[in-house]
Amino acid sequence: MIRMLNRGLLAALLLLFISTSVNLFAGPKAKQKTAADSGSAASSDTYMGLTGEELWSNNCLRCHNIRPGTMYGNAQWDVIVHHMRLRANITGQEQRAIVEFLKSSK
Amino acid sequence: MRKIRRYSLAAIIQIIVLIMASSPTRAEDPTTDGYVTRKEYDELKAQLLAMKKELDTLKKEREAGPKQEHTERQVVVGPHEVAPSQGEAVADTHKQVATEAPPPVVEAEGSLLGTTKFLLAGWAEAMYEQRNGSASTFSASLNPIFLWELTPKILFDGRLEIEPSGSGTNVNLVNAQISYLFNDYIAFGVGEFFSPSNVFVERFEPQWINKLPDRPIGVYQGVLPNISVGAQVRGGFPIGPTRVDYAFYVSNGPTLSTFNARTAGELDFSSYTDNNDDKAIGGRVGFLPIPGVEVGYGFETSRPGFQGTAFADLRALVQSVDLEVTRNSDLLKGRVNLFAQYAWSRVDHAVYDPDGSLGFGPLPLTAKRDGGYAAIAYRPTQLDIDLLRNFEMVFRWDHLSAEPSGLGDPSETRWTIGLDYWLSPSTVIKAAYEWDKPNGERNRNALFFQTAMGF
Ligand code: HEC
Repeated sequence: MIRMLNRGLLAALLLLFISTSVNLFAGPKAKQKTAADSGSAASSDTYMGLTGEELWSNNCLRCHNIRPGTMYGNAQWDVIVHHMRLRANITGQEQRAIVEFLKSSK
Repeated sequence: MRKIRRYSLAAIIQIIVLIMASSPTRAEDPTTDGYVTRKEYDELKAQLLAMKKELDTLKKEREAGPKQEHTERQVVVGPHEVAPSQGEAVADTHKQVATEAPPPVVEAEGSLLGTTKFLLAGWAEAMYEQRNGSASTFSASLNPIFLWELTPKILFDGRLEIEPSGSGTNVNLVNAQISYLFNDYIAFGVGEFFSPSNVFVERFEPQWINKLPDRPIGVYQGVLPNISVGAQVRGGFPIGPTRVDYAFYVSNGPTLSTFNARTAGELDFSSYTDNNDDKAIGGRVGFLPIPGVEVGYGFETSRPGFQGTAFADLRALVQSVDLEVTRNSDLLKGRVNLFAQYAWSRVDHAVYDPDGSLGFGPLPLTAKRDGGYAAIAYRPTQLDIDLLRNFEMVFRWDHLSAEPSGLGDPSETRWTIGLDYWLSPSTVIKAAYEWDKPNGERNRNALFFQTAMGF
């Protein structure tokens, strides 16, 4: 049992190392945004210094392609981002900022 | 009907307003002497014409309005809210009514529409598979997802899988969960849900998300739990620029196979009901050092033996590690995905078929099994040529060790390459080839074509 746990821990550390080194070849897209870009984001909501648009691009394309804000109505986005909050384990603040951004991006 | 009443109300109010607006002028005008002057007549005429015009537009909107609103409400019903692309006219109507009619009418309408929000989502898929040693076949499925947001904190999500099979149709309940958002960092869920430690099943299985037509081996074959019936608590929180997410659950546990030589010692996660009072406890913790990169550790511990048998006290432990990377790279002019998970399970030492009555014992065994996959995908999202931007290449390695008894399926390793073409963010055409050679057996190489559409 202990040996198996050790193996798990070792593998987790290895993955952690790989994941941090990924940064070397891929620059985060959201951070490269110019001031003008983020100024155009209509969202008023921010969380941890990130706008709704940045939170959206950081979180919503981790698992699948993103669908444009125009694709759904406001009430539909409420339901979808509620659903996705449970999938993506984002916080309530992030959920609200992302919904706000999606509704305003139309 | 409601609408018609609303418009007539608006019209009546206008008439009253007009009367009120015009009567004081007459009363205050000292030159009238009980007669209507030309000026007054012209004023009244102009007002009447303006009113007639307004009534005409209202009538026209009344004719156009209900139809659009009807189609929209089939999809989602929400208070005061309208899908903008389909419902501009309706939105205008709302605005106009809001400015012209007294507020109570609008409020009454909101409460009549209700606060519940319903969305029918999901996907459809069609596939052709040609596998060495099996008859080639077409297949198709419809996977509706029902989402009800009863209040901003309470959500039901349920998914069905409906597919033609033999001469009939199979309908499976894939998940059905009621969840409650306790606060910004904690959510509770009860019902049938995707096992949080099985990252593929929870996140990548829908065919409009999975970049290859089939699933990796291992995710459904006795190494990892896949669908759990029980209760879970989950959420996430930031720590500086990094973040942590978690999901812990208690559920019906797996069943230990003890009757069959081939599968002895194997954990069967496909049974939704439990065989004893001991419940499985499991979970997963993920760490995101930078956006788009996550590493996770998952586990599940349970007593898989049947209650009242010699196997009842055995403990089973499943552990896994996973890595998910989704990053845009300027260097590679595109998006790179790397998804990997490796899991290993172990059941305490036991003697299977101790008296030989089943014909394969006594078989002393500490049952162990392991398996996993690693997939890498690349899509040139930063190229200027539309056609090339829509292509995505994907490569996957997956592996499953032999069945623990050594008498069943041998270990299997597969290599798969695929090429996808994205018609929309959730519509994809896939082609893939899989090299599949179980140890010591004939190859089961396969060719796939699949189309999937998420909605
Ligand atoms: C952890 C992976 C993951 C993340 C992160 C994620 N999604 Fe999803 N998304 C899924 C899965 C899986 C589905 C398929 C539905 C299901 O499995 O219940 C889905 C479905 C959807 C759908 C289809 C409608 C529905 O609700 O089923 C939309 C739209 C969507 N996601 C938008 C988003 C947005 C917006 C975000 C960012 C807040 C997001 N997703 C983040 C995994 C994810």
